[in-house]
Amino acid sequence: MREQRRKDAVWRFLTYAFVITMVVVMMVPLYWMLVAATLPQEQFLQFPPRLLPGTAFLDNFAALQERLDFVRTIRNSVLIAVVYTLLSLVLCSMAGFAFAKYEFKFKEPIFYAILATLVLPIQLLVIPLFLLMAQLDWTNTFRAIILPWAANPIGIFLMRQNMKSIPDALLESARMDGATEFQIFYRIALPTMRSSLAALAIILFLFQWDLFLYPLVILETADMYTIPVGLAQLTGFQRIYYDQIMVAATLAIVPMVVLFLVLQKQFVSGILAGSLKE
Amino acid sequence: MATSDETDDRVGQAYRRRIRTKIRTATRRSRRAARPVWDRVRFARQDLTAATPALPRVAYLFIAPFFLLFSVFLAFPVFYTLYLSFFEYQGVGQGSLFWIDLGPVYIEIPQIAQLNFVGLGNYARLLGNDLFWQSMFNTSYILVIQVPLMIGLALALALALNASFMRFKGVFRTAIALPVSANLVAYSTVFLLLFNEQLGFLNYVLAGVGLGPVPWLTDGFWARNTIIAAVTWRWTGYNMIILLAGLQTIPQQLYEAAEIDGANRWEKFRYVTLPQLKPVFLFVVVLSTIGTFKLFAEPYVITGGGPTNSTITIVQYIYRQAFVNFNLGYASALTVVFVAVVSVFSVIQIKIGGED
Repeated sequence: MREQRRKDAVWRFLTYAFVITMVVVMMVPLYWMLVAATLPQEQFLQFPPRLLPGTAFLDNFAALQERLDFVRTIRNSVLIAVVYTLLSLVLCSMAGFAFAKYEFKFKEPIFYAILATLVLPIQLLVIPLFLLMAQLDWTNTFRAIILPWAANPIGIFLMRQNMKSIPDALLESARMDGATEFQIFYRIALPTMRSSLAALAIILFLFQWDLFLYPLVILETADMYTIPVGLAQLTGFQRIYYDQIMVAATLAIVPMVVLFLVLQKQFVSGILAGSLKE
Repeated sequence: MATSDETDDRVGQAYRRRIRTKIRTATRRSRRAARPVWDRVRFARQDLTAATPALPRVAYLFIAPFFLLFSVFLAFPVFYTLYLSFFEYQGVGQGSLFWIDLGPVYIEIPQIAQLNFVGLGNYARLLGNDLFWQSMFNTSYILVIQVPLMIGLALALALALNASFMRFKGVFRTAIALPVSANLVAYSTVFLLLFNEQLGFLNYVLAGVGLGPVPWLTDGFWARNTIIAAVTWRWTGYNMIILLAGLQTIPQQLYEAAEIDGANRWEKFRYVTLPQLKPVFLFVVVLSTIGTFKLFAEPYVITGGGPTNSTITIVQYIYRQAFVNFNLGYASALTVVFVAVVSVFSVIQIKIGGED
């Protein structure tokens, strides 16, 4: 019995040690980023490196701002991601509602055609979309970034799944009261979908926020860059100014970390929903 | 009717009246013409509402905006990539592919690109190209090491955080899942610095224990491992969340039953946890495999595909061919091959998902 208890204690200790080690591993890069972003250039280049944050964040930020208007870059990214998320939510919930609650011709074939594109990686579309946007004269515009994935297959799939659970009787009774079909969708169906919409909004926002290859191809001038494109350009210069890049990385990562801490429940349900299966 | 009425007695008349009333009521029920006006209105309305879910026009209105964008920006490009893979790209389209001139209305569909048909030439070129095979090898190497490493860590973490004695579960989970919120390019720049040979924190720590300096970014072998480390950092928490959710659905009674049978820790894991977790586990494996196949931002930022193409991934090779060399036809053929490989894994993923 005592033997068993000792074994248990060792096991517990090892488990805690493992988890805490992993927590440290996860935190080190983020901490290092903050340190590098707040140290003046000359202190930063010293070896051994300084391990405590400095106070030069604003100076580094000013230096960064001189090379690339990063405030504008952030604004671009936020604007694109927000407009994209809202537009896609509207499109996906409307179409998802139709697929869940109506019968119409070619319903199944259309739905499975959309679903089939879930299998296809988005990199597939970059070349034809580039040519298409060049032809439309849409290169270097935000609409070229926002529109293509607004019709998001994951979105329509999730919306259809969740809208199916709305009781038909609820929609029926609204019809009896003389509501139009659009009112039924807007007033009855959507409010019951609040938590699914929140999870989907996070999936869509993060999708657009992390989109890199496609904006890299479409956006040409510095005033149009999104955060990933702007950051990648900073690392492409002859000399890499790490302190400035770390300021930019901090500005890109910290707001999302804060958002994650605040909306953790929604993030987790977004991850689980995004990885969802039938 | 009148003649038969005259010949009948009162009992017969009453009987027939009853029959007639019955028939009339039955007619009223079955034929709208017999109903009073208010009744007809109500019935008409019920008929209408009963039919509404089948009103196809409304449904088409609901899916139209989605479907329009889907057709133009998703469905069309998919087929166009396939089409493009049989051509050599020669430049942006100049003329028009198709036009209708109706006097005041003039519709023109422009030619998207100037193309030269080469048949299967692009595919033949791809199979004979060293860099294609190099990129396939690099991607596979990263895959074979990174996916088991990451999923092993994620599973161990999920099990640890699911253990009954574990405290501060929420705090630990949050801390480990935090990288999930990091932008791909942003975290890659952090790793670029972290693994820097002279300035990097990692070589500093290694020097502290008398090792290194390791050429993390300038040696082919180490550069691949740097990519593996970066991807593992970013996605372990993500997989842990999914696995943890899977663990929490395993009924507690199974563990209690195993304990009664005298199962030890390992046996409980082997005979209860693993079989119960299997669908989620396989799902995570396939998801990570696909994710690693699509790798682009990390090698683009951290190593640029170098040194001497030792970390170039398949997507990065496609990017180079398409947007640095403008071999869009050849790059499309590469894309088709890439998509074929990824799709196989995706189909497996959906199959696994469909099972439970």
